[in-house]
Amino acid sequence: MTTAAATVPRAEARVSSGLWRDALRRLLRNRPALLGLFLIGVFVTVAVLAPVIAPADPLARFTWNPPSGPPPGPAANHLFGLDRQGHDEFSRVIFGARISLFVGVISVIMGLAMGGVVGAIAGAAGGRIDNVLMRVVDVLLAVPGILLAIGIVAWLDRGLVQIMLAVAATNAPIFARLLRGSLLAIRESDYVLAARALGASGPRLLFRHMIPNALTPMIVAATLALATAIIDVAGLGFLGLGPPDPRTAEWGTMLTDSTVALRSAPHLIFFPGVAIIISAIGFNLLGDGLRESLDPRLKR
Amino acid sequence: MLKYIVRRVLAAIPVLFGLSIIVFSFIHLLPGDPAVALLGQHATPDRVAKIREDLGLDHPLYVQYLAYLGKLLQGDLGKSVINNRPVVGEFAVRFPGTVELTIAALVFAVGLGIPLGRLGARHVQGFRDGLVTVISLVGISIPIFVLGLTLQFFLSVQLKWLPTSGRIDPRLDFEAVTNFMLVDTLLAGRWDWFVDAVKHLILPAIALGSIPLAIITRITRAAVLDVTNEDYVRTARAKGLNEHRVDDRHIMRNAWLPVTTVIGLQVGGLLAGAVITESVFSWNGVGKYVVEAIKDHDYFVVQSMILIFAFIFLVVNLVVDVGYAFLNPRIRYS
Amino acid sequence: MTAPAMRPERAGRTAPMARRTHGIAPAGPLLKVEDLVVRFSTHEGTVHAVNGISFELESGETLGLVGESGCGKSVTNLAIMRLLPKPAGRIAGGRVEFDGLDLVRLSENEMRDLRGKEVAMIFQDPMTSLNPVLTIEEQMVETIRAHRKVTRAEARARSIELLGMVGIPKPETRLRSHPHQFSGGMRQRVMIAMALSLEPKLMIADEPTTALDVTIQAQVLELLRDLTDRLGTAVILITHDLGVVAGMTQRINVMYAGFIVETATTADLFAQPSHPYTVGLLHSIPRLDAERHEPLIPIEGAPPDQRRSPTGCPFAPRCAWRLPVCWTDNPPLSPIVAGTRVVLTGPDTTHRIACHNPPTPEEATAGMPLRPGFIAAPPPGVVVDELAATLDLSPAAAEEVVIMTDEGPVSTAASAGGLPLPPEDDQR
Repeated sequence: MTTAAATVPRAEARVSSGLWRDALRRLLRNRPALLGLFLIGVFVTVAVLAPVIAPADPLARFTWNPPSGPPPGPAANHLFGLDRQGHDEFSRVIFGARISLFVGVISVIMGLAMGGVVGAIAGAAGGRIDNVLMRVVDVLLAVPGILLAIGIVAWLDRGLVQIMLAVAATNAPIFARLLRGSLLAIRESDYVLAARALGASGPRLLFRHMIPNALTPMIVAATLALATAIIDVAGLGFLGLGPPDPRTAEWGTMLTDSTVALRSAPHLIFFPGVAIIISAIGFNLLGDGLRESLDPRLKR
Repeated sequence: MLKYIVRRVLAAIPVLFGLSIIVFSFIHLLPGDPAVALLGQHATPDRVAKIREDLGLDHPLYVQYLAYLGKLLQGDLGKSVINNRPVVGEFAVRFPGTVELTIAALVFAVGLGIPLGRLGARHVQGFRDGLVTVISLVGISIPIFVLGLTLQFFLSVQLKWLPTSGRIDPRLDFEAVTNFMLVDTLLAGRWDWFVDAVKHLILPAIALGSIPLAIITRITRAAVLDVTNEDYVRTARAKGLNEHRVDDRHIMRNAWLPVTTVIGLQVGGLLAGAVITESVFSWNGVGKYVVEAIKDHDYFVVQSMILIFAFIFLVVNLVVDVGYAFLNPRIRYS
Repeated sequence: MTAPAMRPERAGRTAPMARRTHGIAPAGPLLKVEDLVVRFSTHEGTVHAVNGISFELESGETLGLVGESGCGKSVTNLAIMRLLPKPAGRIAGGRVEFDGLDLVRLSENEMRDLRGKEVAMIFQDPMTSLNPVLTIEEQMVETIRAHRKVTRAEARARSIELLGMVGIPKPETRLRSHPHQFSGGMRQRVMIAMALSLEPKLMIADEPTTALDVTIQAQVLELLRDLTDRLGTAVILITHDLGVVAGMTQRINVMYAGFIVETATTADLFAQPSHPYTVGLLHSIPRLDAERHEPLIPIEGAPPDQRRSPTGCPFAPRCAWRLPVCWTDNPPLSPIVAGTRVVLTGPDTTHRIACHNPPTPEEATAGMPLRPGFIAAPPPGVVVDELAATLDLSPAAAEEVVIMTDEGPVSTAASAGGLPLPPEDDQR
């Protein structure tokens, strides 16, 4: 239902910025995505302002009575109770957001960089280079996600950088394949053929026409990957492969302690667990919302 | 069709090859002296010498690799540094546990995910669809260990309906034949033991199956919606077929295609998830074995398990691809 | 033009069709559509897809529905079949009477019995209209068995017979094929065979040849005409191609924006196109018999945004003949010769148009108004949006535009950035 033929020339000149603005407009009308954005906002605020919000140092130890009994649950002075070492659980959950956000974001960026380069080369070059690179990607994809991460951490030993690398390595092949796939599809699309017929060449074609159009699925994938990254980082922590200092306030590591406390201190499962779920839901909601608003064909 | 299968098998070979290189590097490129790193606190001069010799660390890398590949092809996956037991044997004892768990989780995910997805698609944008969307959102956002601990807390600790951990009541005295608890208990002819094994299986299967459940629900819903808008479904309705027939024959027969592919892809995730699930529920399977090996720095075990998991993943995907081709006449006849 | 009684008495029992001889003439018309209104609820608002159209069809008669895409022709027929996409589309008013049954009020079960058996449909794209995972046999047999208590073998025999009838060679073996093993033209033949398998009284063909190669189009149309002729099946042929309807149908309804704007026998319509839109359609297609220098005259602009409820004549913004009244009053469908007794079906169908200021035959031939000094009426103030859409009113294009309205001159310079532009097309 076009409204006007006379506006077409102007509309086309604006098409790229209009596309993003349209997407933003659709995103802001998408209630689940807004909820996601809100949850992420809370998560990021908590992470950034952790020292301000947290009532206690996450490593400070409190005592309880009787010392032989289980650590106390939520109370007025310790909102989320104490853990078995006497740390304030509320402060630990808050500081845990820092690690999750930091490690999650960095590992996704690293994965994007690695996967993006490989995917762009494969998709732009095609032919034999594409073939070889994609076989490598196939190999990495054959190792189930967190197992690859486990292997890498086992190999490189525990540490934050290692965790980031490990999670990035699980993401990178996915990004590589995605970018390469969209580049190949775009390469054959009518508008690139048209641009080529009009004399656009190599790099200009790649950076002006192909990459921007391949960007939207990458944005969506990266947002969803943040959710997975947070879960995977916590998973490594839970398995005892988290930060080398076991006292570090990291959500997954905090849960390792809790397996034993299942009967006596359920608050030690509940609060870190909810924190992970909420941040993962936030990124998943935003990712889905972005997918819907960036791709108008997916209206449903 | 046969040609297609052969082509798919051939395509898997370079991947396996690449995999062996990666896994090989895992040990032989360990930082520092691999032999020392491998042995960790168990390192004594003669053990180091022994390992160096076993791995051929004094030879050039390609010789080391060829030797490794030779052993692999003979089915030799090396020995545990900790207790010197061959990895293959340990694997064989534990693998049935992981298979049992994975299958149970897959049955849960498929058995619930497909009806949920269809329900959402049928009432699209309605209340039930919203519910289905929320279920799949939570399913995809909740880590296995958090769900596992939560289930344990409510259903085992609080309500005492189901056991917390393990594969079967340890007090039961019976002979492991296949190491599939469900099979072994039946072989022993004890129905009550079988029920006990099933009870042990429920919570881990739910925890492990939650992510595949979410994904299968989503993809089913999307596939059904996609197909529902196809012209041939309109044709089927215009022919006066009843809704039931339109649904089963025209919508689902086509929606199955993407759903099968996705189910196949879940197997990789399930194997990875088993590592965590088995740790949460003290489930004696390959996953728990890997985690223990990592904690003990038992690199041979970790290395071999990664290789095996990837191998299984490739085989399953091969099977799924062939199944897909069988469902899709456009491939079947080409 | 004055509009006489809008709902004239049905002219006795309509004159019998010349070409069709068999079949018992029913008491009334086979299909009677009255004031049909169809609405779609979308995120962007309600779409006024069909806005109270009425027409009739006798047994064995062939009717063309012509118009640009989005004018409501397909929606009309999906509404007749009660196959509007759910939950967005709904019949918001009117009656559809088929063979004495009120289709709008029929239960879903009763309606299902009718589909395929009494009313069959074939669709535009044969590539996507057959189920890719089922064999032709499965799809044909299930159609027959959905309506007749016959064995699989009997249904199969009938399918073979039908495939032979539509000219598919070696039907016994082809029956076991999957759709992708057929060419487009062959698939459309299969669709026709399937649609005719229960000898329906009415066949709706929605752009049946648009997706086919030009060389195949004629063959398929020929086949469609022969078979429906032989079976005495009434046909509604939906198309945007006036060339297709010319040889295929006895009568034509021209639709625009969910309204019927012109209706006549095919012969009358081509002899004397009388609605500016029809005239525009005829002049926008190249013709072999055109005078050497006769230019093609495109219809300016695009169909209106049907999210707004229509005020005035829907074609007014694009019409070269419009009068001020066209902006405010939507003219009813009336005979081109005032006071004529209205006949709704058959070869004596009254030629009717919905227009305040129809082109004269000379103007219709020329494709433009020829009256000296005639200028299409500018829109009144309430529809400045439409004007903004048709003129380029961006600040770059004009410093200031003054529009004469009923209340006096209005300047666009007052609102910086020109007039508010209508929402842009999301589907671009």
